[in-house]
Amino acid sequence: MPVTRLLYPLYQLGNPQLRIFRPNWFLTLVRPGKEQPPDTVQFRTPMEMTKYDIKNYLENIYNVPVGVVRTRIQFGSNKKRNYRNQKIKQPDYKVAYVQLAQGQTFSFPDVFPEKDKTPEEGSMEEMEQKYMEDEKQRQKLDPRRGGVTDWFGF
Amino acid sequence: MAARTRLPLLFPKNLPPFRNQRLAHTEAAVKEPAYPPIISSLTAKSKSARGRQVDEQVQKICASPVEEKLSLITRIQRMKFVVYPQTFARNADTWYQHFTKTAYIPGLPEKYTLSPERETGGEEEQPAAAQTTVPGVGHDGFTDIRSLVTRVILLEHWQLRKRIPFLYRKQEQTVGPFLRNLVTELAFSLAKYNPLFLSSSLDIDPNVHFYWRRGQRIIPKGHRRGRQEPTRFQIDDRPIIQIRITEQLPQFISLEDSYAAEVQEVTLSPSVMPLFRRQYDNNIFTGAKLPDPACYGHTQFHLVPDRYHRDRMARMQQSDQVEVFLRANALTSLFAWTGAQAMYQGFWNHEDVTRPFVSQAVITDGKFFSFFCYQLNTVALSVETDANNPRKNLLWGTESLRLYDSVQDGEVVGLNDDVLKLLVQFLMNKQ
Repeated sequence: MPVTRLLYPLYQLGNPQLRIFRPNWFLTLVRPGKEQPPDTVQFRTPMEMTKYDIKNYLENIYNVPVGVVRTRIQFGSNKKRNYRNQKIKQPDYKVAYVQLAQGQTFSFPDVFPEKDKTPEEGSMEEMEQKYMEDEKQRQKLDPRRGGVTDWFGF
Repeated sequence: MAARTRLPLLFPKNLPPFRNQRLAHTEAAVKEPAYPPIISSLTAKSKSARGRQVDEQVQKICASPVEEKLSLITRIQRMKFVVYPQTFARNADTWYQHFTKTAYIPGLPEKYTLSPERETGGEEEQPAAAQTTVPGVGHDGFTDIRSLVTRVILLEHWQLRKRIPFLYRKQEQTVGPFLRNLVTELAFSLAKYNPLFLSSSLDIDPNVHFYWRRGQRIIPKGHRRGRQEPTRFQIDDRPIIQIRITEQLPQFISLEDSYAAEVQEVTLSPSVMPLFRRQYDNNIFTGAKLPDPACYGHTQFHLVPDRYHRDRMARMQQSDQVEVFLRANALTSLFAWTGAQAMYQGFWNHEDVTRPFVSQAVITDGKFFSFFCYQLNTVALSVETDANNPRKNLLWGTESLRLYDSVQDGEVVGLNDDVLKLLVQFLMNKQ
């Protein structure tokens, strides 16, 4: 096995430098299930985070002007059972509703926008689609018969 | 041969034409039937039966006297949104405007803004009179009032020895007594000029309640799921002091002028404001019981509690919410009070007001005064009655104005005559 030479960073006096300390907390920005006013943003936060923590977090790390924070704890379902008929608990989480200050508004972005589904011209897909449409048209019943099957006709 | 037992598949086409059309000359000869009109059942489990039950209830309420009317309207308890006049919610005023169908007009109504011009007209005749005169109260009267107000301020902030107030009750313990003294003494001294006050009633710490319905929702879950339910609201208000009079105040503008006003519609659920639902007895109360002759409102005085004092708001970096809070407070308090007055006269959701009802309010934190006027043009706010109802309630209001700067060495520094004048004008409002 060939021994690769590892290049360690050269030590300089005063190293290590430029550290950024961040809390090991993660806020998840979520799309509100119930429609909220335009200045309200919804997050899922760790259980231990308080309203003041959330306010400080958003203001100091992201420079978001926070007006008011409201939180609640969402009970995770305890209804499901596994193959041994033991109860399975979904974890609880904390939901934070943050109202922005200074008249700022937020609307949750459309993360997966609808793609344009028309296929390219002359491609195999387009021909397929066209063929299927024709075939459907052919197999449709005569509208003048009012939905009566062919069997009754001559 | 087998008979044709089934109807043909293209049934309607085979019938002779013009089956549903009658000939013109026979239609005229149709007589009025002698039968009673067909009405839906009262007891069946159907939408029409429900509609008839509702109609009968409405007719019953309309026919009953006022006291019974109020009890019938407030009888059924359901979960209702409790609207707090002094609210912690941000930007509450737009929400409250929607709930009460009230348009906010910045500035005071013409009655108060036009009077200085009239005064200047009078001044040319009497150059001796200074700028600070209020119509109805002479120059001497105003100086008397000015010294009275100075005396009241000094009493509270200089002459009395007070203990250190309890935590977050400073306003209540210092400004509350000041306001009570100020209003009682002003009302007493202005009774010379305003004969309405001779037979008025001055309530200290009265309760004001109002209950109404506005908007509806479809119940999402439970055994009543899928049904329409009106959204109910309740206001429980407690002004520091209020003046009730026996005659109604004149309207600021006519009913038809309110049609042009715009009220912003809020389509979201009130619970995201946030507003919370509770169930307890529905109350409609003006501060006095029904047989009281002083059944019309004149002016209410409210106090900004410590929690929403502008210094604390500034500390919390919410200075932009100070005026919003005052506006929301005035809006809900005045709507509740004026609405309850209208209800006491027998108007309700299905019998809309025939004349506008008017009340005024002053909200203060001791130094800053804000003045509000309310004109109630409609109480038909629920979904059934709100459609095609162009009337809107109106609220006029000022920003907060500083009455005085400070008290130093037994003297009031910088007493603002304009604010004082406005206060006197508010109290001088009469028939």
